[in-house]
Formats: sequence, C-alpha cells, structure tokens
Amino acid sequence: MGLQGKAAIVGIAQYRPEKYQTAPRMFHLEQVADLARQALLDAGLEASDIDGLCVNGPHFHEASSFVPAMVGEYLGTALNFGEVVDLGGASGVAMAWRAAAAIELGLCRAVLCVIPQRMAPMGPDEDPMAMARAMRYGGHSTAFGAPEAEFDLPYGHMAQNTGYAMIAQRYKARYGYDEAAMAKIVVDQRTNACANPDAMFYGKPLSIDDVLASRMVADPLRVLEIVMPVAGGAAFIVADADLARRGRHRPAWVKGFGEHIISKSPTYAPDMLDTPIGPASRRAFAMAGITPADIDVAQLYDCYTITVLLSLEDAGFAKKGEGMAFVREHDLTYKGDFPLNTHGGQLGFGQAGSAGGMSQLIEAVEQLRGSCGERQLSRCDKAFVSGTGGVMSEQAALILMGE
Amino acid sequence: MANKPQPVATDISRPYWDALKARRIELQQCDACGRWNFFPRRHCPHCLSDRLAWREVSGRGKLLTYTIARIPTLPDFADEAPQKLAVVELAEGVHLNTTLVGLDEDEIQIGMAVRPVFDASGDTPLLRFTGENKALTVIKRAADDTPEVASPAKAKRQIHFKDFESLKALVSDDYSGWSNTYTVGQELIDQFAALSGDDYWIHTDPERARKQGPFGGTIAHGMLIQVLLSRLTMPLDWELTGFGNMANYGSNKLRFPSPVPAGSRIHGRARVKAVDEVKAGTQLTLEMCVHVVGQERPALINELIVLYML
Repeated sequence: MGLQGKAAIVGIAQYRPEKYQTAPRMFHLEQVADLARQALLDAGLEASDIDGLCVNGPHFHEASSFVPAMVGEYLGTALNFGEVVDLGGASGVAMAWRAAAAIELGLCRAVLCVIPQRMAPMGPDEDPMAMARAMRYGGHSTAFGAPEAEFDLPYGHMAQNTGYAMIAQRYKARYGYDEAAMAKIVVDQRTNACANPDAMFYGKPLSIDDVLASRMVADPLRVLEIVMPVAGGAAFIVADADLARRGRHRPAWVKGFGEHIISKSPTYAPDMLDTPIGPASRRAFAMAGITPADIDVAQLYDCYTITVLLSLEDAGFAKKGEGMAFVREHDLTYKGDFPLNTHGGQLGFGQAGSAGGMSQLIEAVEQLRGSCGERQLSRCDKAFVSGTGGVMSEQAALILMGE
Repeated sequence: MANKPQPVATDISRPYWDALKARRIELQQCDACGRWNFFPRRHCPHCLSDRLAWREVSGRGKLLTYTIARIPTLPDFADEAPQKLAVVELAEGVHLNTTLVGLDEDEIQIGMAVRPVFDASGDTPLLRFTGENKALTVIKRAADDTPEVASPAKAKRQIHFKDFESLKALVSDDYSGWSNTYTVGQELIDQFAALSGDDYWIHTDPERARKQGPFGGTIAHGMLIQVLLSRLTMPLDWELTGFGNMANYGSNKLRFPSPVPAGSRIHGRARVKAVDEVKAGTQLTLEMCVHVVGQERPALINELIVLYML
C-alpha cells in the first residue's frame, strides 16, 4: 500500500524570515506567483510544466473559497488537481504527499505546493482593526455553536501556549522532566541557526542557562522554548520521475508518508501524550521500507520544545518516556550524531505561520542535495520530516530519499 | 470582567447550562452504547447514535493536567492572573477544560481528586474545580472594590518642601505599593462620554464593539483613566510640609499603552521621577501608572508635575 516513490521534490523557494512590521507587503496571489517563479527557476522547469496545485485555504488574503481556481487563473495555469490544505503547521508535509499521490495516479506531472505568509497591502476601505480582531482568539473559532467558543474560551483556554504547556505538565507527571534537556533542544537548534545566514536568530548563540533564565510563559514552558512568529512564505514543486531526472538538482524522492488527526484540543484526546505523529510515522516508515535508525537527518516540527520531545519518542527515534535522556546523550547539531532541524528549526529560523512547517521540508531537500553550506551533513540520503498543526491536533510524517 | 468571552447556549447544549444555573451538573449518556459524552452533541462520539440522555453526575473527578499561565491568555483574564488552567477527568471518563480555584500553586498536583465549584460571579454560570477537601462550593458575585488603602502603620515621613537634600533622596526607579482599586463600569464610561462629548462607539456601544472592535467589547476613554487618578490613593510613605500653596502644573508625558475594557478594576502606583528647584518654589515630577488589576502593561502613564509654593 502507498506510494511507489516515483515522485520527487525538484524545486524549492522560501522567503527569508522577517519581522512582520518591516517585511514587504504583497498580495497573496502575487506571493504565490513570485514563489512559483523562484521554485521553477530552482527546478529548471517552465511555468507550463505546472498542472497541479496545493495551496492554503484559511488565511488566504484574496479569497476564502474557490482559492485554487483563483490562483490557477492568476498564474495562467490550467490544473488537473486543485487542492486546499487546512492542516495548520502540518500543511507543508500534507501537501507533499497529496502532490506525490496525484502524480503517481497519473493526474499531474508537476504540482506546485505553496503557502504565502507575508501580509497583504492594506486596502483603502479596509478596517485596520480587522487584523487585531482576527488575532484576538488565535486559531479558535468564535462561531455560534463552535464547541471551543462555548466550552474553552470562557475559561481562558485559548491560543497554543497553554495547550502545549498542559501536555508538557502531564508528561512531567507521568515520566518526569529535565528542564535542562528541554533547554538543550533550543540550544542545539540555535547552534544550527548560527550556521544558517537566513535564520532569524543567525549570529545569536544561546546557552542552556539563557533558556532557563528566560521568562516563564505557562508552566513549564519558557519564552525561549516557543517559536517567534515571522513573515515569510515558501513553495516547492513535486514532479514525476521524468521531469525529476531532467532537473537541476538531486531529486528528493517522496518514499513514505503518514497523516493522523485525533482532536482539535488535546483535552478531548483519549491520551494527550500519545500524539498523532505515532500512527503517521509508523505508516511512513512501513511505506518507505526503512526504520528510524536509517534516517540521516530528522526535521521535526518544533513550535515548542515539547513537540520535539514527543515527536522524538512517538516517531520511534527514542523510547517512550526516554526522550529527555536521548536529548542529553546526543549532539543534536549538524556536527552531531543525531542531526535535528539543521536549519535551526522554527525555534531558530522563525515561524512563518503555516509556511513554517515548510522550512523543515525545504531544509531536508537541501540536505539531500548537499547545498547547505557550513551546516551540510557529510552524508545525507534519507530524511524524516514531520508537521504539526493546532495543539498536537494533526500531524503528518514524510520520508524523503536521495535515491 | 465584562469583555471575557461568554458561552452562548445552543438548543443542543442548553440543558447543560440550565443545570449549572441550578448548581447541578448534567452530562449526556448514550442509551445505545452506555458511554458518557462531553461537550454536548446531538450524536454520541463513540457510536454516532442519537439516543443521548441528560443525566445528573456528581462532578467529582481528578486533575488530568494543568498549567499556570504567567501571561494572561487574553488581556480580559488579567484579573485571574496567574490563570490556573486545568483539564479535569470526571468519574464518568469525560475530560473538560476549566480553571482551578481556592488552591495555592503548591497544592496543585496532577492526579489529585477534585470537586466542582459553581461560579455564579459572571453573567453565565461556569464550572470550576477545587481540591476534594476544600470547603469552597460556590463563587458569588465579585467583592466590591477596596475602598481605601489601609493607612500605613507608621506615620508618614514629613519633609519640608525646601529640604532639597531629603527631597532628592525620594527620586527612585522603584514604584510605591498599589493603590486602592476602582471599577470602570460601562455606566461610568457613558457618563464620561456625555460629559466630554466623546461618544465614539468603541466606548459606548457594547454590541458594536463586541462585533467590530478589536477588544471584544467597549473600552474606557484614555482621558477617563487619567481623570480617575483622583480616585486612586497611592500609598506614599512621605508627605511635604511647610508650603502655602500647591498646584497641578500639568504633565510632561501622557501615554495610554494598553486599553481598559469596560468592567475592569484598575489600580495605580507612583514614583518620584525628579525634584527641581524653580523660581516659584519646588517642582515635583511624579510618574503615575494605572494598570488593570493583574496586568503588567500599564493602561496609563502620566508624568505629573506638582508645584509647591510658599
């Protein structure tokens, strides 16, 4: 069951993360076209090669419905496959397998996957408060009849910090907790960011003491264990074997994937410590016919340190309950024995909304290509990428290989 | 506080809220598979049967997890800071989001037995939880404002208004303690709107402000908070003597860094920023800060200049 591994990521593009206040404002359609052009140049393909599209639906500025048709029209591209992906930070990984599946089914030859994440220009009649209003409740629905509007928000349960904090607290009660090990995740990733000139925190190394001295936001999570939101955006192109072999770079073949969704809020999950990346990654490894021990680089979604810890365990890199020991015993930097989030992770690179998860995938492609410069691994043929949306609501796993 | 998100009952959930109002807890149980369900639905999340019946439960359970939010999850929750957000597993096996009350931070332990507390202090009753052995069962309407700051045990230090050496020693980066609190209700805001003529909807139209405003409801005029400084007694441990006359000379700086939602309780604190000898006498620059109770970011900063003359 699953993919044959006959589709590959052949082109990538990513805006450098920037502060929202100083980043250029561009329409989302404009960003899509700009990122598509860059990804096509990177791949060595023509615009006419694109015949499939995966794009974010929520937060797309110029439309809230009929997004693929509007984007296709803007690009001047007819599509055999038009897909909106609404899986938060898991969207990038989720797009990759959808695109690969569409290609293996013979629907498409090249699928553009794209998430624009710079702000759009303000319209003359636009209400400047609309943004503040939209931000007030984060990812929560306030619609009449939405369970979270009725049963979560009135108690102050909202946004992501406290949900992830409560998962971490439960972990602490069940397995114990080593805050220095959690801080080491941030520190090792920051070392990686310091070898990535595009990273938001390039040139800003950190110590474990720095992390432990940073402000407590929601016990046990400190501010340096939480991603910084940035403006950005990213795209990649998945193509069939024929186009992939004609491309400019070593293709990153999509060999395995998995996706799993349990509940919107971890409160309503049967066991909030049994995260969706478990079933998703087991499926991905089985499909690719490899095990976690075969992986050369792990690009684990890192909105918070606890997400990395649970993904290390549930994806099978560390035993359940032993993730902290694993972190203590391994060097997680690009120089180390378990290279993790070599671009700095989103904790070191910055989180460009739902495009943040694409940064993990794009780094995996670059490591497979050998184009990472200072932080390039000496050998990289197999990469594992995870994506996480909401509060551990939905997770997806992807296995990319150089051959 | 008035702008906290409020639950809006639906036809599906109404029995739950009606029961809470009567200080009872009712949950749905599936008559097809026997399992319990939360939050209320039309169909059982275990077997999708629509044969769900409302039944009263004890509300006893255990603490599944919690966190202490050191930064309010929304400014409107500043009065609860730090918020003790929790997930409780009831004896029936369902999980629900809530907050812990009547427990100190060091009394909270995951797995501890908890009991329901009916919170009737807001517009809609909410279900909170406390430790099994605590006496708290009901929270009534919030207590009134603290009328005055208790007068300090020792008498205020008297400083002559020409004693510059002692006055200069008052200059500090540290603030005084907090003043009394004062509630900025919608009625007060409406009165200020009528008085000042500033009746912009973000201050006076709760319905529109809830739907269109960025703060989930109405907010006080910045200038109203400025005026309310007179209602706040800062607990300064000194006072000036020997002058014949004092005057409010104005302000070097006036800022409104964060909003005061209608219904908020405010309090203030002060520090001496500068002492200057001027022709007319002595000029004291006081930095007055007003905060919504529990909020770190001030709602008002006023560098007030007071002139003391013979």
